[in-house]
Amino acid sequence: MSIIIISSDVREIEEMIAGKVAEEKGYGRLDRRIINDVAARHQVEPGRLIEALETTPSLFRKLSSRQWRYYLSCIEADVLERLLADNLVCWGLAAHLYVTDISHAMKIRVLAGKSSGLAKIAEERGISLQRAETYRDDEMARRKKWSLAAFNQDETDLSRYDLVISLDQIDSVEAVRTITGASEYRKFQVMTYSMKCLTDLALAAKVHAVLLKSMADVKVQARDGSVVVSTRASTRQKRKKTETIKALAGQVDGVGYVEVHVKKNFLKETA
Amino acid sequence: MARSLEVLLLDDEPIVGRRLKPALDKIGCQVEVFENPKEAVARIDQKEFDIVVTDIRMEEMDGIAVLEHVQKKWPRTKVILITGYAKMDLAREAMEKGVFDFIAKPFRPDDLRRIIASAAEALGMPIDAASPNDETVAE
Repeated sequence: MSIIIISSDVREIEEMIAGKVAEEKGYGRLDRRIINDVAARHQVEPGRLIEALETTPSLFRKLSSRQWRYYLSCIEADVLERLLADNLVCWGLAAHLYVTDISHAMKIRVLAGKSSGLAKIAEERGISLQRAETYRDDEMARRKKWSLAAFNQDETDLSRYDLVISLDQIDSVEAVRTITGASEYRKFQVMTYSMKCLTDLALAAKVHAVLLKSMADVKVQARDGSVVVSTRASTRQKRKKTETIKALAGQVDGVGYVEVHVKKNFLKETA
Repeated sequence: MARSLEVLLLDDEPIVGRRLKPALDKIGCQVEVFENPKEAVARIDQKEFDIVVTDIRMEEMDGIAVLEHVQKKWPRTKVILITGYAKMDLAREAMEKGVFDFIAKPFRPDDLRRIIASAAEALGMPIDAASPNDETVAE
């Protein structure tokens, strides 16, 4: 019983490897097919959620930083809740950036490499290998910037992963075999502690999404149904914001207690 | 009649043993409580327990060493680690070394009873872990 989270520097490779791993393991698939459900649940447009996964805030696209964070939080909350079901292969939802410190979640990075990866890009997009390489490099730089802005994590930092496979060295069949084999290691099996950590993370994400719908600049931690929310407010707004947070968070299923820590917002204080 | 589940409980904080022993007694376990790891290991050398529940961070000997000792002496015994200092790396290390389960403090006696029942099932000695008591064990 475990969770396998797969990401790659090339989307097509990520989908191909993850799909085969899911098939080989007989695990459920958790990918962008859930976006419509997430959108319906949070009453937002599916296209906006996909946009949030792909781009950073921009005036040009009429996507504010606050909306962007809210859309990402909706996806995060839904993915984490679904991951509680276990025995899943997850990709395409940025889970490798927010599923942190969960021992039974094995994170895999597949490096497409020059031969297979670039050939795949060239084929899919009908471009030359040289242009495919430029495209791949630009894409990596863009994803690095996006991952840092969205979750303060650099997805190109390979030390973040449990297993890194280069398709330049290992072909895709062997890569799938390696991933399924490694997922059998005892260290990646579910235990009471790791399930508890995931439950806490899922609850924090759910509260975070609820709060971000109407406010910005909130951080949430959860433990055994107790939730700690950190935020900023001016002295004048402190009481009202605390009450609002307590009321909103308190309505979330699974929340038993809410504590709010408010730091002074010096910008608003001096305004 | 089936024999009781034999459980050794090791934690250098006396309160843990005081809280957990009655909780496990209630589901029919025969529990021996130790606060000193060396004394616990000496007892393990004498007797094959079905389940060993041990804290990880202790002065003279840590829980991982206790786990390794149990595995060498009695491979059938299920070891459950409890700790107030849980981290992902430690959890993975414990799982890799063959721990049956790993639980972070604070937890409710019910949580431990559920794990004990699951270990008993794996040993082919199923028990009913249901009990109303639900006091939290301190960190």
